[in-house]
Amino acid sequence: MKLAVISCIHGNYEALNAVLSDIDDHKADQIYCLGDLVGYGPHPNAVVEMIRSLDIPTCQGCWDEDIVEGLNACECSYPSQLAEQRGHAAHEWTNNVIHPEVREYLATLPMTLKLDNLCFVHGSPNSQHEYLLPSMDGFAALERVLAVDAEVLFCGHTHVPYVRTLEDVNLSIRVQQPGQEEAIAQTEVPLKQIVNAGSVGEPRHGRPNATYVLYDTETAQITLREVAYDYEKTCADIIEKGLPPIFAWRLARGMEFAERADDPSHVCQR
Amino acid sequence: MDAMTLVAIAGPPGSGKTTWLSQFLSDQQHPRFYCCPGLGDVSVDRARIAYRFPWVQLLSEQDFPQALMTLPEQARVYLELGFHLDLTAPILASLPCHRVAIVPPELAASEWHDWADEVIIGSEITLPTSDELPELWRSPLTGRVFDPASLDEIILELTGGAYGSVQRLKGIFELPDGRAFHIDFVEGLSGIEYAELGLPPWLDGRPERFSGIEVLGRNLDKQTIVDTFLAGCLSDSAIAHYQEQYKALAAEEAQMNPEETVSL
Repeated sequence: MKLAVISCIHGNYEALNAVLSDIDDHKADQIYCLGDLVGYGPHPNAVVEMIRSLDIPTCQGCWDEDIVEGLNACECSYPSQLAEQRGHAAHEWTNNVIHPEVREYLATLPMTLKLDNLCFVHGSPNSQHEYLLPSMDGFAALERVLAVDAEVLFCGHTHVPYVRTLEDVNLSIRVQQPGQEEAIAQTEVPLKQIVNAGSVGEPRHGRPNATYVLYDTETAQITLREVAYDYEKTCADIIEKGLPPIFAWRLARGMEFAERADDPSHVCQR
Repeated sequence: MDAMTLVAIAGPPGSGKTTWLSQFLSDQQHPRFYCCPGLGDVSVDRARIAYRFPWVQLLSEQDFPQALMTLPEQARVYLELGFHLDLTAPILASLPCHRVAIVPPELAASEWHDWADEVIIGSEITLPTSDELPELWRSPLTGRVFDPASLDEIILELTGGAYGSVQRLKGIFELPDGRAFHIDFVEGLSGIEYAELGLPPWLDGRPERFSGIEVLGRNLDKQTIVDTFLAGCLSDSAIAHYQEQYKALAAEEAQMNPEETVSL
């Protein structure tokens, strides 16, 4: 079966349409979405309606959560004070335009989705706000995959796509209890992978193109796709809808803000 | 006063005027004076020279004529002429000075060539395509302390053209760890230069020494630039929070290395 995994659409309807069309061209059997349907972009309702109409299994992203529960992420989620102020402006705008039924739908989204040995999350299995960056400590990264009993963990949130393979892993576990001899267990962990789908609507890889992932469950082949779309239309809509024009400038250069804590494994304490 | 006592330097923005004359200002054996007319006290170049070469005497435009009459022996005065000054103005033409033009290599003939006694080849900058003078926007920032990550983003956006086309940007910025940086961008040159000014760390409230910015460009959205810079400035409480942390860190380091104690 051929899967398409999309993430971080952020209200960018043009980008979503282009990616869905590309997925259609590649004849994917099933689409999974890793959340962040809303926030920053000018068409949050239309994006959610499209995802719902196609019945795409979707995880809840951090922006989706904030629209449901209110903005309460701590300041550490943002790379700078400026990004935080802009993030708050985007949240306020989205919160004002979102339809009640869209908010209700976002509230129903699960944190995690599973399909056999595959697991789908927004940030990490721990939190929608945690970043699984490619530079994350290998043991910590492996723990995230083992925690959900998966072979492949699909995530988004960083807006930069990557594939990380964790192989040749031997775990040695020592357990010492009072009055008992030390117990040692050796475990060889089979190959695991973390696949980041990047971002459909708010890329941060230096180009405006949308990214997503194709995965073949038979061959385990992973393909990172980069799709050009009419980003100028989205930029014009950002300005027309009254969002900060700097969002359009940054979107056109593939340098949109992704929330990013200094500590990649940091989990927001709220 | 002979002609070599007064050296006037001119050239297009970013050609390297301040860089060129810095080599002479480092001379501490002889009296050195510097004047940059037309910019008043809100001048990044003037402040940078004061910070880097504290032995150089800075002359204001008003003090300049009187100072020329009372120069000490072996004194030399450097007069940096901004792009906005008319080199053919009578006051400049009548000054007995040595005229130095700093020009980019591609510029073979110009008003600076016609004016100069000596032409120095400077930085390989992008030559202006229009005869129309660019706008100069400048603002003092004294007392402002920036969130470093925000400042990086703002400079990146500003020099990338998010708020108009920027030909030149230079500024002095204060950071929460007490350091001050000079930031320099010239269109056509690669990268943005960040240089620490080597001043004593300011860790007691808002810095009272000069900081500021000058932006030269076209179609500058000045209000948005101001708003964006303000969005990157730290609040009183954030400044106090950071300064306490840095002071504690310095005290800890001083305890561990008593012989290398640096007083704040």
